[in-house]
Amino acid sequence: MKIVLMAGLNLRRMFKDRTNIFFVLVAPFLLILVLGQLYGGGQQLRLGVVAGPGAPSERLASALASGSRVTVERLADEEALRAAVERGRLHAGLVIPASYDSGGGRVRHLVRATDIKSHDTGTWIRSIVRQEGARGQPSLPVRVTTTGKTPFPEGLNAYAIAAPGLLLMFTFLTSLTAALGLVESRAIGVTARLSAGPTRLRTIIAGEAAGRIAIALFQAVLIMLGSMALFGVSWGDPVGAVAVLLVFSLVGGGAGMLLGAAFRTPGPSISVAMLLGLGLPTLGGATIPLESFAEPMRTLAHLTPHAWGYDAFARLIRHGDGLTGVLPQLAVLGVLAVVLFALGTWRLRRALSG
Amino acid sequence: MAVLAVEGLRKSYRDLVAVDGLGFAVREGETYGLLGPNGAGKSTAISMIVGILAPDAGSVSAPPKARVGYVPQEVAVYPDLTARENLRFFSGMYGMRRAEAKSRTTEVLRLVGLSDRADEAVAKYSGGMQRRLNIAVGLLNRPSLLVLDEPTAGVDPQSRNAILDSVQRMTGEGLAVLYTTHYMEEAQRLCDRVGIIDHGRLLAEGTPAELGEPDLEAAFLRLTGRELRD
Repeated sequence: MKIVLMAGLNLRRMFKDRTNIFFVLVAPFLLILVLGQLYGGGQQLRLGVVAGPGAPSERLASALASGSRVTVERLADEEALRAAVERGRLHAGLVIPASYDSGGGRVRHLVRATDIKSHDTGTWIRSIVRQEGARGQPSLPVRVTTTGKTPFPEGLNAYAIAAPGLLLMFTFLTSLTAALGLVESRAIGVTARLSAGPTRLRTIIAGEAAGRIAIALFQAVLIMLGSMALFGVSWGDPVGAVAVLLVFSLVGGGAGMLLGAAFRTPGPSISVAMLLGLGLPTLGGATIPLESFAEPMRTLAHLTPHAWGYDAFARLIRHGDGLTGVLPQLAVLGVLAVVLFALGTWRLRRALSG
Repeated sequence: MAVLAVEGLRKSYRDLVAVDGLGFAVREGETYGLLGPNGAGKSTAISMIVGILAPDAGSVSAPPKARVGYVPQEVAVYPDLTARENLRFFSGMYGMRRAEAKSRTTEVLRLVGLSDRADEAVAKYSGGMQRRLNIAVGLLNRPSLLVLDEPTAGVDPQSRNAILDSVQRMTGEGLAVLYTTHYMEEAQRLCDRVGIIDHGRLLAEGTPAELGEPDLEAAFLRLTGRELRD
């Protein structure tokens, strides 16, 4: 009961600071909206086309431009098209070979692997190519093949790219900044006062730990449910998603516990909280998708819990995996949570027992 | 009958001996003043008596923790919560049920004169009001021993007077009080007996009258060779 009381008090105190109302309740959704837009939510698709001079090619290019969400730009050659796609000026490119005019050939679709909107052009292109192919050469089969590996499945909600990373970032950041409450409790003597009362030291420590977990869980659940309701984000297999959310909240809570136990005064603790709370997610792919990192940086990113959380959510959301598919990530995060709580508990016990 | 008995209490931090063989007793209904300058070892002794610090040696015989009220030197309440929210939280930590916590909160708020400001954030209180709330928390559990560690430190004379009045009211109800201060006039006004402490050792003990001299200040000067507020 006392543990629940302490956890509830921690949550209540977090909202006594009005700036927290913005940073915990509003800021995550603003950022999901902004990043979702950056990743392409609701954007006009820019498609570059290199086409032969014949009527069929011309007809196909015109048909592609008929979509309300697609703007077609004609380019002179494949080299220029490739450069424009690589630089991100165009979302994707389409090369219609000269042989298309004579009833054959292979229409090629160029995309940037890490650009979700590149993949979104695929649905449109396939439907138009099929439609035009059927109209010009009804007897010719249209075959669609895909080469290479795409990290973002076609049709993926752009906000589903932003939401998992931001859930990880804000859960961790809020846990660390809220640890200031524990530092303050110790600095003003409340924790010592409690230990002078009829509450055992282990109950006080458990209460503080429960407070850290409650804050992390509150933030994570809010973002998960809020992003579903506001942006239509699907988090994949519910059991897997809840498991990742729970285990990552434990990591955030453990980090908060360790930070709150390690510092005696609020000043340095808030600096460290901001540094780790913003630095680790950036390194761990929570703000910029991990897929766009170079290989050495991706390896380095996995020194952070965020990269493991990101991988787990990516598997659930984009690849349709279930709980068993994210067990390795859950195991790593689980071990990290245990280590952080063990260190935080040990440090707090040492500090309180004088 | 002694409510609190302290014997041979000792605590050191590396080379510094903070409390050195301290011993005294506080009887039922008695207010015992522990007097000494800053750094004399009063707060360290109090921390061991209330169970925050483990002594290196010695013993403390006190009522169970549930019957000890502790008022630390610092204002140990949450400044962002209201007085009522603070008291309700600490009531819960004393194991009180909701109804009991509610009624006891109302009682102690009245006792320390904060009923009309109970729903304001503590951060908005004056220093004296915060000190009174600090005492209120120590009274929540209806203690048989109340330990007050310099409860008037840093407050204006008017607030100090209000705090001393409320302590005097409580001692009239059979409560044993251990009171540390470095204000002689407080000790003379409140305490039945006084122990003078310096360098962690008890130098003298008795009623203010027994300690002789025209007043306690003079007694302290004679015993330690220095002013109390050094």
